[in-house]
Amino acid sequence: MTTSMSDASLKSLADEHGTPLLVLDCAELRRRYRQLADALPGVRLYYAIKALPHRTVIRTLNGLGCGFDVASAGEVAELRAERITPRSCIHTHPIKKPADIKAALRYGCTSFVVDNPVELEKFLPYRHRVGLLLRISFRNPNAVVDLSRKFGCMPDEAPLLLARARQLGIPVKGLSFHVGSQSAGPDTHVAALRECAALIERERQLGSPLSVLDIGGGFPVDYAGGDVDIHQWCAPLRDAIAALPPRLDVIAEPGRYLVAPAVTGVFAVVGKAVRDNGAWYYLDDGVYGSFSGQLFDHSRYPLRALADGPTATATLAGPTCDSIDVIAEDIALPLLGVGDLVVGSMMGAYTAASATGFNSLPRAKLVAINDAPGSALPDDVAWIA
Amino acid sequence: MRHWEETLYDSYGQRFRVDELLFESETEHQHLIIFENERFGRIMVLDGVVQTTEADEFVYHEMITHVPIIGHGAARRVLIIGGGDGGVLRECCKHADVERIVQVEIDRSVIEMAKQWLPRHSAGAFDDPRAEIVIADGMQFVCETDERFDVIIADSTDPIGPGEVLFSDDFYAGCKRCLKPGGVVATQNGVAFMQLDEVRTTARRLGAHFGDATFFAAAVPTYVGGVMTFAWGTDDAALRLQSVDRLTERYAAANLTTRYYTPAVHQAAFALPRYVETAIDEATA
Repeated sequence: MTTSMSDASLKSLADEHGTPLLVLDCAELRRRYRQLADALPGVRLYYAIKALPHRTVIRTLNGLGCGFDVASAGEVAELRAERITPRSCIHTHPIKKPADIKAALRYGCTSFVVDNPVELEKFLPYRHRVGLLLRISFRNPNAVVDLSRKFGCMPDEAPLLLARARQLGIPVKGLSFHVGSQSAGPDTHVAALRECAALIERERQLGSPLSVLDIGGGFPVDYAGGDVDIHQWCAPLRDAIAALPPRLDVIAEPGRYLVAPAVTGVFAVVGKAVRDNGAWYYLDDGVYGSFSGQLFDHSRYPLRALADGPTATATLAGPTCDSIDVIAEDIALPLLGVGDLVVGSMMGAYTAASATGFNSLPRAKLVAINDAPGSALPDDVAWIA
Repeated sequence: MRHWEETLYDSYGQRFRVDELLFESETEHQHLIIFENERFGRIMVLDGVVQTTEADEFVYHEMITHVPIIGHGAARRVLIIGGGDGGVLRECCKHADVERIVQVEIDRSVIEMAKQWLPRHSAGAFDDPRAEIVIADGMQFVCETDERFDVIIADSTDPIGPGEVLFSDDFYAGCKRCLKPGGVVATQNGVAFMQLDEVRTTARRLGAHFGDATFFAAAVPTYVGGVMTFAWGTDDAALRLQSVDRLTERYAAANLTTRYYTPAVHQAAFALPRYVETAIDEATA
């Protein structure tokens, strides 16, 4: 884990912008993109904007040549607003409303993912326009979020679905998989890659070459404060990709890996009470807000107080009326008073993105530092790539 | 050097050098640009798809207009649905025998934008005293108007987007409703090789309302992928089976100047490739 943000600069940002505050470090975001791109040479990255659908993130990554993975008409609108060329966009939600398909097509995104016959048939009216990816399920007991339970066809169902697509005249251009978020190791990726390679070879022999393989996301970050050596983590993946048939276009959909370490949260103590188990500090953000990932994403963020002194065991709670809104129990903190600041690291992915408006509390403001507008010119003709 | 790439198809497409971006309008649901290209002049793009270019619009506008009007032979009242760029209106106005033209466009800003940036499309036709411009929903208009027309021309966008209803069964029923006996409806129907489903769907829907429902074809360079088809619907099957001599008489009488349309092209345009005929037969079997 790295952060370029000093306590002093976080304090001064909190003074300037108020709290709760999320600080996006664009330099860190660029560094993460380059790190993953170096670890997966030849693989085009499509940022999964669901992780943090923020325009500065989109603009910064676009400036580096990153593509975008969207899952809804709303996410399409985010890309439209940032004037991202639609050829840099893939729609990867396996289940879509017809209106989502139309919105993506009208934007110019023509790549979609399906994993079942019902979804396939939704593309009958658009079959002359689209290129589909068939999502295959590979269960991953080692992922924190195993996405292959909810989505993906079983590998042995794939030939039938591909045959069905051929019969319907709906073009399938490749396969995709997503082994799940926060994958402990690359073993499932590698196994999935090999199985997909076999399916692609089988289709090629049938005279139906597939040209795209989307290896999804799952690239891990360390919420315990360490740093995953992504280059080493990806080594088996690089070997598996090198063994793929030539001229296959391999793409990936990182989300968390790119944004998680790029955002630091700054929160203020708004109240305190001494109860049976020690001090309770109430912050101006909690699990209904920027800490929503603790519920939805099974994440815990490294926390520290911007205060000195001897520590004691305390409880950090959020601002809502609900008793579930507790951020941390039995956490060692110095004695804090109202107005003191608590900092959460690694808060870029699935934090602000899934914050609710419960209790009509305002969502945390997000400010960007090290934004380099020169690196991503807001083109006068941005859609003209 | 900057380029713009059409996003109509995933596996195939065309791109243009952008010599100058002239106009851009981005609303929540629609993205429109007009740019200058050396070969095609001004190009108008809506939602990633070429709508019209200055260099090749004559093919489209002459064919969608003169084939039904000359084919009809005595058109006095013409209804244009869509066509906000004014190209169809311009071609209609070349016919001195046409007494009244009603153009129904859903979006006034399209007309204003076209007058400003594509003035050669309308070439002053919006000021022709025979033309009445109605800002309304074309679908609703054909279902409600008390007027009856000899020829209806639907110059729409593609079926994904605002033009969708202009490919519906209800729209063709509305056209039938406000055509005089022996009247003709002509509509743009996409590039047959790339969008054969549109041929099938239109053949089925149009055939339910007209005794003679077929297509005529023309090659518009920037509607890529081969010939485009125009749908043709009428209850008078004789209208498309006229001799070149007779078409030539009418063409001469109208004293038209055209660059693509000729009476021989007119007659030949109804000769369809076998794959199109097969698609029509299968759809209407």
